[in-house]
Amino acid sequence: MEALTDNALMLKVKDNDLDKLGLLFERYKRPLFGFFYGMNKDAELSEDLVQNVFLRILKYRYLFRGEGDFRTWMYHIARNVNHDHFRKDKLKAKDSLENWQERLGTDENRSTEYQKDEELQLLSMAMDRLPEDKREVLLLSKFQDKKYKEIGEILGCSEGAVKVKVFRALQDLKAVYRELEKHM
Amino acid sequence: MNTERIQELIAKYNAAQADPVELKLIEKLIEEGLIDLGELHELQALDERLDRMTLPAPSMQLNDTFYHMLAQEKKSAAGFSWKAFFAWPDFAPRLAFASVTLLLGLAAGFLLRAPGQQKDEQIGRLGEEVRDLKEMMMLSLLEKESATDRLKAVSLTEDMDQASHKVTSALLQTLNHDDNVNVRLAALEALKPYVKDSKVREELIRSISKQDSPLVQLSLAEVMAQLQVKSSVKELEKILKNENTPVDVKKKIRESIQVII
Repeated sequence: MEALTDNALMLKVKDNDLDKLGLLFERYKRPLFGFFYGMNKDAELSEDLVQNVFLRILKYRYLFRGEGDFRTWMYHIARNVNHDHFRKDKLKAKDSLENWQERLGTDENRSTEYQKDEELQLLSMAMDRLPEDKREVLLLSKFQDKKYKEIGEILGCSEGAVKVKVFRALQDLKAVYRELEKHM
Repeated sequence: MNTERIQELIAKYNAAQADPVELKLIEKLIEEGLIDLGELHELQALDERLDRMTLPAPSMQLNDTFYHMLAQEKKSAAGFSWKAFFAWPDFAPRLAFASVTLLLGLAAGFLLRAPGQQKDEQIGRLGEEVRDLKEMMMLSLLEKESATDRLKAVSLTEDMDQASHKVTSALLQTLNHDDNVNVRLAALEALKPYVKDSKVREELIRSISKQDSPLVQLSLAEVMAQLQVKSSVKELEKILKNENTPVDVKKKIRESIQVII
């Protein structure tokens, strides 16, 4: 039996067949967690944000029309969840430096845990040093399988503009990566 | 811009020799879709490595919190609402079920009604049988020696809605020939509902002269007066002429004759 498409599942959720959200959760919990973790390097926070995304999907399920791609809609929500969290977090700016140091520490520990390849470890560190908007566009590109048109829908710009953003981000990543390589 | 110039730019970029002005140009060409990101080899390789970069998986805690949240939401969504009740996807099967149940009910009612008619027929037949039985009983009781039994027989006719010819002639027979005055009076009383029948009326007139009991004579005279039966006058006058008739009775009969005339 062919698996139901994301859109078909989400339309069922919209019709109050809430169990189908479980299937969507199983499909996307990892990529979503990856997206958030790539953004903030905080596993606990990322889990909270994934939970928030699904909470919003449930709350606003009546808004899903099924015309666009579910994944695009979901990452749109994910992006809003991330922004909302850090807008609130700006109030705690004082703590942020400590958090950052903490995060860097845990980042390295985690890196050794899951990143055997030294090259990839370096790349991960380079990603962390990129400005947030550039990191975001690269992560979206990764998790949206380079579908620039859909990423454009998430970011609210044209496909061409997304390509330019990806180009610039990759340029910056390359530069940071080379810088890190020098110090290794 | 021609293709050659574009290819030249790409080659320059891949050789890491593009200057800032050229980089701006490349950006513009990427935006217009004239250069594909895949053509920029170094960036392409970096992008591919980025795709290979694995990120940690969430813990089981995420599953717990998510499914708990889902269960909570399901519980609150399960609450009754009229809007949800009439929502077509749910309402259609409900409506279908109700319609089928109604049709089944009607069909069952129709099927159960048919034997009901048979029952009515059976009851009708039973009623007839009971009437026949009563008639038979009445006729046999009329032949009994005991005056009480014969009175009972006469009173049985009161229960009958429509007495048969057999019953009325039996009653007339009793009126004319029974030894007991009370039984004769009861028979006359029982015959009253049937006086509209001309045969019964004629027999009643004929019966006047046959009666020797003053009580029965008086009763008959009253019935005649009530019915205004003019043909009965002759018969009544016969009683007046009879010497054995008591004076009081004669007086009453004269009054009745006055009423009839």
